[in-house]
Amino acid sequence: MTSPITPSWPKLTSREEFGFLTDLVMSHSTGDHTFLSLRDSHGGTTRFANNQVIQNVNQRRGTLAITVAFGRQHGTATTTDFTAGAVRETLKQAERLARISPEDPEYLPPVGAQSYLLLPTARLETSAAGPARRLDYAREAIGQCKMENLNAAGTVSSTVAIVGVAADTGLSAYEERTEARFSLTVQAGEATGWSAAAHRSIDRLHVQERTLAAINKAKRGADEPQELPPGRYTVILEPAAVAGLLSWMVWMLDAKSFYKGTSPFSGKLGTRILDRRLSLVNQPDHADLLGHGFTNEGLPVIGSGWIEAGVLRQLLHDRYTAQEHHIDPLTTLESPCLSGERPLGTRVDDLIRTTQRGILVTNFWYIRPVNPSDLTLTGMTRDGTFLIENGEVTSAIRNFRFHDSPLRAFNQVDAYTTPAEAVTSETGKALVPAMRLHDFNFSSVTRF
Amino acid sequence: MSEPLWDELAELALTRARAAGVEYADIRLLDTTTRTIHGEDRRIAHIGETSDRGFGVRVLHRGAWGFAASSILSLEEIPRVADLAVEIAKGSASLAIEKVRLAPEPVHRDRVVTSCRLDPFAVPLEEQTSLLLNTMEAIQRHPGVVRSHAGLWAQRDRKLFVSTEGSHLEFSLLAIQGDCTATAVHDGRFASRSFNTPHLRMGYELIREADFVREGARIAEQAVEKVRAPAVEPGRYDLVLDPEHLSLTMHESCGHPSELDRALGYEANYAGTSFLTPDKRGTYRYGSTHVNLVADNTEPDTLAATGYDDDGVTCQKWDIVREGIFVGYCTNREVAPKIKEERSRGSNRADSWGSVPMVRIANIGLEPGTATLDDLLADVKRGIYIEGHGSYSIDQRRYNFQFGGDAFWLVENGRRTHMLRDVVYHGITPEFWGRCDGVADRAHRRRYGFITCGKGQPGQSGWMTHAASHARFRRVDVITGQAKAEE
Repeated sequence: MTSPITPSWPKLTSREEFGFLTDLVMSHSTGDHTFLSLRDSHGGTTRFANNQVIQNVNQRRGTLAITVAFGRQHGTATTTDFTAGAVRETLKQAERLARISPEDPEYLPPVGAQSYLLLPTARLETSAAGPARRLDYAREAIGQCKMENLNAAGTVSSTVAIVGVAADTGLSAYEERTEARFSLTVQAGEATGWSAAAHRSIDRLHVQERTLAAINKAKRGADEPQELPPGRYTVILEPAAVAGLLSWMVWMLDAKSFYKGTSPFSGKLGTRILDRRLSLVNQPDHADLLGHGFTNEGLPVIGSGWIEAGVLRQLLHDRYTAQEHHIDPLTTLESPCLSGERPLGTRVDDLIRTTQRGILVTNFWYIRPVNPSDLTLTGMTRDGTFLIENGEVTSAIRNFRFHDSPLRAFNQVDAYTTPAEAVTSETGKALVPAMRLHDFNFSSVTRF
Repeated sequence: MSEPLWDELAELALTRARAAGVEYADIRLLDTTTRTIHGEDRRIAHIGETSDRGFGVRVLHRGAWGFAASSILSLEEIPRVADLAVEIAKGSASLAIEKVRLAPEPVHRDRVVTSCRLDPFAVPLEEQTSLLLNTMEAIQRHPGVVRSHAGLWAQRDRKLFVSTEGSHLEFSLLAIQGDCTATAVHDGRFASRSFNTPHLRMGYELIREADFVREGARIAEQAVEKVRAPAVEPGRYDLVLDPEHLSLTMHESCGHPSELDRALGYEANYAGTSFLTPDKRGTYRYGSTHVNLVADNTEPDTLAATGYDDDGVTCQKWDIVREGIFVGYCTNREVAPKIKEERSRGSNRADSWGSVPMVRIANIGLEPGTATLDDLLADVKRGIYIEGHGSYSIDQRRYNFQFGGDAFWLVENGRRTHMLRDVVYHGITPEFWGRCDGVADRAHRRRYGFITCGKGQPGQSGWMTHAASHARFRRVDVITGQAKAEE
């Protein structure tokens, strides 16, 4: 790593300054309840394409949101100006909005003081990383691609953020969080290969290894792809593709929709929704996930089981819905880990080796719900779609559109690996296995 | 506007950048106020106002870009951020193959204010919350409806753009929108139907003129009809698409592929590239001769009509597709010279002070034809009439798409009969637009805006408006939206 190229990094809001802001807001508030939420971040992204940097940005942004309640009337005002005058004006605006707001029957006062898991949410090497470190990684990826006469497009980013919540109920939480990301698309003529990583530690992006993986995908796909007809196929989904499907399941798990009958899971709590070998848990303390100590409301993030042996055991309960149903609120599943009993190896190759005929999918793109009642989704394969015959990748194939539901597909599971880190452009980060599924529905083919 | 402090801060940043020897620099200072009111199931769930202030400095140094931004508007922060932008540009230059060359643009000194009869921030909030509560009541009064949503959104941007070339542009921009949704359940299924005003650069008059309570009652009735409607039988149908539905089709299958940065590979790692590569310009058949797609960032009240873009380039009007042939791109000052255009089309926009501007889809619209909606339907033996937005997805070169819609009616022998559910259609972009054989006239033209168009890394939300009249497409592949039904 070269030396930092800027002499003075911005100083983010310290714990003491957060305490000062909290006191300032609480001492001036006339509300029955007052809640504040701070996020102060600093970071940047180096973005490259056609083997050169096309965008290189850095941003420092502080945001303070204040919610005031009078009885069940509440309003929220937000500012990026942390000067005392601006903070007081923001508080007054929140008070004005609250006084005008109709009573909200679902309003609950902020939670009181809580105990949190002490998680290693921040890594010094990430918060210290600046444009020079990001550029080094970009140079590494571009250099490897150039050596192979290939074309690189990707990003390297690093962010450090201070997150704090406080309320007049005694609630106070403060945490430093870091996150680094790398993603790369390698172009070999018409073919592309892709790889991505996200981690609290910028040292754990494994840029060299992931660049090589993307290069290999692109080179493997560079021969003229053959076109297969749409239909139901045995597929091997790499972890990123599995995460793409799983994320829509997680986003649809809210309890309010469940009770109103407007959820694909309505009526399915306590019943088997996935293959009986699969389980889904939240693991905020996992070193390779991006867990936090507390939620946006200041609730502790805890490890929790959601699907056990294929059976849906838990829903995302906001505080009001939880209170209505006399259970503890559980509002996040931000560190998901999907795993199965008796995995077939640790790598995608272990699945390929044991497949007679199937289609290998590197990733999905533009996944969107088609039918929320049964969670039918659609999306395209991307950055490496291959035919597998007799345990080997035999050719590249044109990209397919799929049209299927994870609630159906994850019941057609034949085999899977141990969980691996998975990141996509539209989801957070998860630990999920690569999977082999039967009868996955590809509804149409594209031109490349 | 013209707070002396902003001019002072801008000058300080540009002086600092000039002293570092940059070829070009600009600064954007922004103060954005956003108000959102969100109602859910007969209650006001959120009422909030956000003040987002900050600045971004963009420099071109040694032929490469650097950008740095901060929410701290102070005399100390400005030089730090300007210096950082220069240092970042030096880093970019170390990995440059081709130097950035900006298309020339005259120097502009101007002030842009979008039109507004009723300032939404001056309209009593009680009126706005009452409107939403009454709308949700009208929706949930209908038996079969289990959930309602209603929302209002307004945003004011005060912006100053100053460049080392001498441009000095002040903006006071307003935008507004409102919407409501009804969700009905039946037989283990649920379905929603929505009404929304377009996102436009207007004032609260847009909301007052839309009869939310009446529209709420209408969509409630249609949500119930929709959830009870028969599922579509897969097959080939003639489709008649309403302007709101077409706004999304155009956005995905014409807007994005006509962004020149994508065609040149800049978005290869995320949003993708484009099948409309530069070699195709002027000769490629994108659609039938009925298809005329025009970019117009000068039409009053539309989202991209801001007078100037974030390159300081004048907003313009130009052809993207003329009589079915692809002829033009959306460009900024950086990419326009790469296809030998003498001037940028003025489509470079950032979503905030903290974001670097990039090529964004213009206000692309389908030019009206000569038919009426009844004419288009009259000539359909077996077809589907589709309104509004539903499911949507398209591949990363913008060929293979799948669209749903918000409401569907079976058309038999020229007449709408009854609603259908679970309609989705798919196709390949140029084949689909090649099947267009009729567009309704100007009286049918409607405008719809987008404020959440995702692009870039870090991701940004783009704003643009797409206008169209109803259009007909022959023999399009329709499948059902249910996974199980295809087994």
